[in-house]
Amino acid sequence: MRGFYIVGGYPDREQFKKCLNAVAAAGFEFIEVGIPFSEPVADGPVIASAIHEAVMNGVDIEAIMSDVREMKQKSPSIKATVMTYANIIHGYGEKKFSDDFGDILSGVIIPDLPTRMHSWMTDKGLSIPIIPFVTPVSRDEDIEAVKDTKAPFVYYISIMGVTGSDKKGAVNNKADIAKKLTSKPVVTGFGIRTKEDAERALNATGGFVIGTEVVKRQKDFSEFCKYIEQFR
Amino acid sequence: MDKKMFFGEYGGQFVPETLIPALDELEFWYNKLKKDDKFKAELDTLLRSYAGRPTPVYKAENLSRELGCELYLKREDLMHTGAHKVNNTLGQALVTKYMGKNRVIAETGAGQHGVASATAAALFGMECTVFMGEVDARRQEPNVKRMELLGAEVVRVQDGQRTLKDATNAALREWVASVETTHYIIGSIVGPYPFPEMVAYFQSVIGIEANAQCKELGFDPDCVVACVGGGSNAIGIFQGFLDNQKIEIFGVEAGGVSDKDGEHARTIGMGKPGILHGAFSYLVQTPQFQVADVHSISAGLDYPGIGPAHAALNDSGRVKYGYVRDDEALNAFKMLTRKEGIIPALESSHALAYVIENKEQFKGKKVLVNLSGRGDKDMAAILERGLI
Ligand SMILES: Cc1ncc(COP(=O)(O)O)c(C=O)c1O
Repeated sequence: MRGFYIVGGYPDREQFKKCLNAVAAAGFEFIEVGIPFSEPVADGPVIASAIHEAVMNGVDIEAIMSDVREMKQKSPSIKATVMTYANIIHGYGEKKFSDDFGDILSGVIIPDLPTRMHSWMTDKGLSIPIIPFVTPVSRDEDIEAVKDTKAPFVYYISIMGVTGSDKKGAVNNKADIAKKLTSKPVVTGFGIRTKEDAERALNATGGFVIGTEVVKRQKDFSEFCKYIEQFR
Repeated sequence: MDKKMFFGEYGGQFVPETLIPALDELEFWYNKLKKDDKFKAELDTLLRSYAGRPTPVYKAENLSRELGCELYLKREDLMHTGAHKVNNTLGQALVTKYMGKNRVIAETGAGQHGVASATAAALFGMECTVFMGEVDARRQEPNVKRMELLGAEVVRVQDGQRTLKDATNAALREWVASVETTHYIIGSIVGPYPFPEMVAYFQSVIGIEANAQCKELGFDPDCVVACVGGGSNAIGIFQGFLDNQKIEIFGVEAGGVSDKDGEHARTIGMGKPGILHGAFSYLVQTPQFQVADVHSISAGLDYPGIGPAHAALNDSGRVKYGYVRDDEALNAFKMLTRKEGIIPALESSHALAYVIENKEQFKGKKVLVNLSGRGDKDMAAILERGLI
């Protein structure tokens, strides 16, 4: 599974829509749309500063999601996911978020909602599958806990750090264990930059997602297209 | 989901999955050590012989006369490093030592927690990095120098409003990257479980002591008052009195200059429940669920969140949360300085200001105020700006 993360509504609505549709039109399997939150604690400088800019300009959840809906109508086969922090979904309302957007989203990625806290949101009515994380320090019981996930994939955070970190990915078998246990694809995120990184991740775990390198290019559409093209 | 992580409906562990094993490890050690006689004796010795416990309860006669109540001050300002913060940092540094980690990080607003962390790190021979918003580093410059003298690295955070919230974001990011070797000494009763419980435990010494001291003086206070940033000094003193339902308890938030957006830090007064820095609690936020800008003259109260324990105490009605404005805090700062010869921290001045501003309500009562820290750190900024 090949996917890209882009910041919703950034740098403006038109440019965001163009990038969103470019990913879909290029035939990638999934897209991760970020709904900006003012405290992006899991993000490094590149994504955090894009998010801050977006927050300063005002975040319109309905507008972002209506652009995703339009994109899905044109490219129904791509899986759309939303990546946002817990306060955004809780504030909007877990049930309302599910009612409003459940039909177009295959999953939600909530970086400050670890597996053991999933039920806090599902109990409040979040019915869109929450994409679970596995990390280099996940213990057996942590991976066991995601065994029955209804999400389309498991998200493997390959490095100890925030997005955009230039640390080397950890070499261990956590992703393999997750793959066997869930029989879902495992998507490697954090620190994937080049075609080589992406291929390695595809071979090792069955998927990748690239964030920082695309967000960097979200302001320059031709650079954006040129960059994602190499992963086709 | 485990009930133990919550105070009523507030609390939890809203953090990246990467931190979960470290939080479990911390929970394990905290639960073990708080029952361990050797650990408790070690901490107790440090608090007494190194940090200056017990701190006195002082009857402020001059101000009492002025206000028409009996005003007692719990003198946390006399603690080593100048505030209650060291109760917590010595405890957590000792936990760090037992966990076998040799590096600590901390966030700081007023710089008191940063200094107290750097102090504990120097004492235990640990590496220390402190994150501080650029705005706070400027208004609490003396504390930046102290931290650096103590051997800590001070990172001036340039994100967002460049205050305590942004420093906490930076510390959380650093912790995710270094969690295998590093302990994060959170400075208040905020953050993911078990931090709110653990910090409250280390600060409970204030209230336990104060209760015994009042009893020795032959009374129970009618009212207990403390300022609330994240809420650690407040929960510290409250724990000595919560069980006695006859005692009225007040938490004082920073009212800034007005109730307009961005001009106050009234988390309970103006916020609504939300998720920040690992916990579900009250949060000052925009209608679009973004964390709102806040303001207080005091760096230590300039924070949009509050510990989950206070959210629960507010909802149950056991504690009443009020506020005072910047100028009222400054007035209290000046009054205590001139009438009693005690220069308080601007944070603690908020607690005192609440009693001054509501003196009718406190008339004839025995009022115990937690004087959480001293004002050395604030003097430069106050004099420079000609504030008094
Ligand atoms: C002297 C003093 N009092 C109070 C506070 C506020 O923190 P808390 O609410 O955790 O006691 C601070 C924080 O920096 C402080 O330095």
